Amino acid sequence: MRRRLDALSQDLSRREEPRSTPTSSETGPSGLGQAVGLGFRVTSEFVAAIVVGGLIGWQGDRWLHSSPLLLITFIALGTAAGFWNVYRLAMKTGGK
Amino acid sequence: MPEKAIDPIHQFNIERLMPFHVMGLDASFTNASLLMVIILALVSLLMLAGTSRRSMVPGRLQAAAEMSYEFIANTVRGTAGQEGMRFFPFVFSLFMFVLLANLLGLLPFSYTVTSQIVVTFALAGLVMTVLILYGLVRHGTHFLGLFVPSGIPILILPFIVLIEIISFLSRPISLAVRLFANMLAGHITLKVFGGFVVALLGAGGFAALLSPLPLIGIIVLTAFELLVAFLQAYVFAILTCVYLNDAIHPGH
Repeated sequence: MRRRLDALSQDLSRREEPRSTPTSSETGPSGLGQAVGLGFRVTSEFVAAIVVGGLIGWQGDRWLHSSPLLLITFIALGTAAGFWNVYRLAMKTGGK
Repeated sequence: MPEKAIDPIHQFNIERLMPFHVMGLDASFTNASLLMVIILALVSLLMLAGTSRRSMVPGRLQAAAEMSYEFIANTVRGTAGQEGMRFFPFVFSLFMFVLLANLLGLLPFSYTVTSQIVVTFALAGLVMTVLILYGLVRHGTHFLGLFVPSGIPILILPFIVLIEIISFLSRPISLAVRLFANMLAGHITLKVFGGFVVALLGAGGFAALLSPLPLIGIIVLTAFELLVAFLQAYVFAILTCVYLNDAIHPGH
């Protein structure tokens, strides 16, 4: 019994090997689901960076009374960060 | 009164089931808390029952438990490497909590915990805290190298560092807002379509004949919401892994 179990598990792991290697790089649910998930990620990362830049600029302006210098600078920086986020995401998914 | 029945925002009301005030803080047991307790109980039940009888040929519960384990284990290994498996319990708990919160929220008369930004932001904040603490403990000040990419001319380096910091700060916000906004928008859409059915029926005549159309819409939307519920939990888990990967290997 023991030997048969061992043989079975060996057989299983051998069969698992080729199947797990191609799927490990894309563990996503399905083609469509993965695409939709990626879309959600890209949009929210892009928008969030701009929002964070705007918030920093806005609060910085209120603190230093330099309106609207910092707001403009940080929105520009936030937009750059947003593009940077999207670029990094695209590089990561494309490179794999 | 009929106004209130069609109000699509009404579903997000928090009702205090057991009022409880501590030192001026409102810590009442609400319907949201009740749902969270149910979620925790369900996850625990699934995992305990699924792993109690470790049979060779898995039953339904065991198969579900094993599938969720393998799914998350593959995700963690794929994005954060073998070292990321240290965080497997953390990511798994997050995934199961968000998944069940999203799915249970779809049941009639239940409550969607993840449609409250407080909850999602608390989860995102937890992820960021774990990440920063682990990064600092593991790598010390070298962790800050995350903000200073190598091979950048010294002239534009301050600029890049600022961008990197903003990009880092945007992570918890994007993590929290995405989950919250998706659940909120989906549930409001469902309620609005439900309101259409009632309004068309109430209008009578030719309009009443049209009322099945939004009903079909609801069915399609519910299916879509199921997909979104799973996807958002998946995205939350995979992004946690991606961010953890940065903490494990800073300085790309």
